[in-house]
Amino acid sequence: MTIVACLKWVSHPGEPHDERFSGMSPADQSALEFALRQAEQTGTGVTAITVGPSGADKVLRDALACGATRAIRIEAPTTAAGTDVATAIADHIAEAQWVWCGDYSLDRGAGSVPAFIAAHLLAEQALGVIAAELHDGSVHATRRLDGGRRELLEVHAPAVVSVEGATARLRRAGLHSLRTAAGATIEVIAATTPIHQAEFMVRAYRPRARELPAPAGEGPLDRLRVLTDATTSSAARGEKTTLEPAEAAERIIRALRDWGYLTP
Amino acid sequence: MSDGTISFQERMATAEFRVHHDAHIVVDGKVCADCSTRECVVACPASLFVPTSDGGIVFNYEQCFECGTCYIVCNREGAISWHYPEGGHGVVFRRT
Amino acid sequence: MNQPDVDVVVVGGGPAGSCAAIVAARAGLSVVLLERGPFPGSKNMYGGVVYPRILDELIPNWWEEAPIQRWVTRRSTMMLTDTQALTVDFRSEAWGKPPYNGATAFRPDWDHWLAGYAEAAGAQVLTDTTVVGLIRDAKGAVAGVRTDRPDGDLTARVVIACDGVNSFLAKEAGLYEHTDAKHFTLGVKETLSLPKEVIDERFAVRDRHGVDIEILGGTGKVNGGGFLYTGLDTLSVGVVLKLPKLAAQQQRPEQLVAGLKAHPAIAPLVQGAELKEYSAHLIPEAGLTMMPKMTTSGMLVAGDAAALCLAAGIWLEGVNFAMASGMYAGEAAVEAVQAGDVSENGLRGYQRRLSDTFVLKDHRKLRRAPELVLSDRVQHLYPGMIANVAERVFHVDNPHPKPGVRRILAQERKKAGVRRRDLLRDGWTGFRSFG
Ligand SMILES: Cc1cc2nc3c(=O)[nH]c(=O)nc-3n(C[C@H](O)[C@H](O)[C@H](O)COP(=O)(O)OP(=O)(O)OC[C@H]3O[C@@H](n4cnc5c(N)ncnc54)[C@H](O)[C@@H]3O)c2cc1C
Ligand code: SF4
Ligand code: SF4
Repeated sequence: MTIVACLKWVSHPGEPHDERFSGMSPADQSALEFALRQAEQTGTGVTAITVGPSGADKVLRDALACGATRAIRIEAPTTAAGTDVATAIADHIAEAQWVWCGDYSLDRGAGSVPAFIAAHLLAEQALGVIAAELHDGSVHATRRLDGGRRELLEVHAPAVVSVEGATARLRRAGLHSLRTAAGATIEVIAATTPIHQAEFMVRAYRPRARELPAPAGEGPLDRLRVLTDATTSSAARGEKTTLEPAEAAERIIRALRDWGYLTP
Repeated sequence: MSDGTISFQERMATAEFRVHHDAHIVVDGKVCADCSTRECVVACPASLFVPTSDGGIVFNYEQCFECGTCYIVCNREGAISWHYPEGGHGVVFRRT
Repeated sequence: MNQPDVDVVVVGGGPAGSCAAIVAARAGLSVVLLERGPFPGSKNMYGGVVYPRILDELIPNWWEEAPIQRWVTRRSTMMLTDTQALTVDFRSEAWGKPPYNGATAFRPDWDHWLAGYAEAAGAQVLTDTTVVGLIRDAKGAVAGVRTDRPDGDLTARVVIACDGVNSFLAKEAGLYEHTDAKHFTLGVKETLSLPKEVIDERFAVRDRHGVDIEILGGTGKVNGGGFLYTGLDTLSVGVVLKLPKLAAQQQRPEQLVAGLKAHPAIAPLVQGAELKEYSAHLIPEAGLTMMPKMTTSGMLVAGDAAALCLAAGIWLEGVNFAMASGMYAGEAAVEAVQAGDVSENGLRGYQRRLSDTFVLKDHRKLRRAPELVLSDRVQHLYPGMIANVAERVFHVDNPHPKPGVRRILAQERKKAGVRRRDLLRDGWTGFRSFG
């Protein structure tokens, strides 16, 4: 059985290009810890994998020092696009049973890599997990939903689980394993698929402007009420229908387009 | 921002502290109760020793520079137990 | 004896530790350097000026690589009273060219850079690791260190303790007879940001040239001093405070920095600058008076851990003393390991090197200076007296004719309540120290 921890080399938000302030994100640390625990339970090892430049070896050495048994780095620039990262990883861990990822990386990652990996591996997924319990042959994961609700999932191998930071505290590396890890070999391989630069548009988030017809009402106060009053029937602000999944998806996309969230 | 007017909280926010879950300095309030000099209150550059109205001392370890001033100025045996935080934790300087 | 894990373990990734590790690793010894911070320099703070000439041997042309802010080409010593300032200002263009003299630099940059040479020399630099104690062999000799990691013992032939001013290792080894609050000063500083052009203009410097200002007085009723250094686009301003008097005066460290910054001679220099980082650190101030025994079987102590910092008013040097003592400790460790004798006697080359070089020579010369500089007379009486003399000498009070300097001196001495005998004695001490 192969257990994989996908780790990303990230820099401190305040010190973008400074290696002294770089390392594993808290979420990745939790992912690694779960992987190590699972490996201990099942008597196997953990493969730590990263996609990045040579500086990223740092997170792999940290992982080795904590008990990972193999370390692979797929050569790529720091700014590789998420989909390419996922493809590159999935290509190298085709036989993986459990893939642990951090939920989002510090450097404005969108958390999409784990989902793409799961898609590539045709694996089950539990993403953005806030708690995970390791069971024999399965993982019980808790996800946060809107409105304070929780979703409980039971996933079976092959599966991708992405966890939030602080879900598990990464163990402290022993002194002698730290020394060994410093000299350990890291398998560096070229990606089998092309890796593109991620395209970032750096700008302040501003919701798209929308035209709102003035609500009906006598005076300004009435109109304000119509706009803000929660007692106005919810039908006016949304709709409730029962549809087949394909139709429902279609309907959602249309609505998003109408509301201006998707370009036509 | 004119620097003369910033609050102490803002001042401390200019330094980074990677706080460990265990306190590296523990202050024994019982010993402090009958300390009249209160050297630590004035001397700690991070102002982490705060006298309470009932004559005690509240201490917070989170924003500590790990300088050692407190255990050196305090002359009461057993008031302060002082260690460095676990490796990798505590203050991280940048432009010092 | 079992084979130890390594030849040398160096504790602390400050300037002393890195230099010790460089020397030992280059001689072919197996070396581990342990640093408790996430990277070397992350725990370290100082005023702001390094004097790196001692590196000439270890790192030829170090100035081409060193992460410096500015080369110090102007050095001022200011004496402040509440409303007056007397400045001695020196400028040298030669200090702005190789091999230079002093440079302003940030310790997280400098120490990290220097540790890179230790690593390049083959030393293993392990960060995030706090040493919590010593390991001793059956005979009581130091045989390694204990860290806070699991499986954390590391045995070595020689331990070089470069763990800074609090040196729990030197204390654990029993090398300090006693330590006392009066042997330490507390340094607090503000790193302020200001555009480079503004700094250039205010401090009358250009390019990468910078200014070092040491300040006597300016800390109100608390005995101490101050400093102001120029970074590229930052200023470092801070105070150094004698510990025992601090509490009695009920003035908090940051208030004293604020007081210094508000002084009429300083305020225009720092005006409008924004606080970037606030920091604090102790200084082993008492020099020879507090120095521990430097060597015991299996262990050497270097840098601030051995109180080798030179803090004497117009001088505040520690990094160069740390680098030098680290280097000598490294050399002595190499000698001892190669000779197969790491006993106190086998390591005696360290003490000899310290005694033969500036490290202890400067300390011996300046042995009374720290006490003198921090004495009440120098702190509270002389600045006012001297400033008043200067003010009266330079004051044009026509139609009155200019008074004689000697008479002014005598009058001001009496006014300040300074006894002639004390003045002569302090003058003599000062002359022997600084002259
Ligand atoms: C306010 C102030 C102003 C100063 N101004 C100047 C100046 O302008 N110029 C100058 O030359 N000098 C100056 N000094 C003095 C100078 O900073 C010191 O003398 C110098 O840093 C000593 O170097 P070191 O290597 O001995 O110790 P440090 O630089 O203190 O390094 C000790 C290292 O050991 C590590 N360490 C400590 N304990 C442990 C442990 N148990 N386990 C693992 N690692 C540990 C620390 O994290 C640190 O990295 C100033 C000092 C202060 C406080
Ligand atoms: S810590 Fe020491 S100085 Fe401070 S109040 Fe307690 S006993 Fe007094
Ligand atoms: S070590 Fe320094 S900063 Fe920390 S509590 Fe003591 S005096 Fe304050």
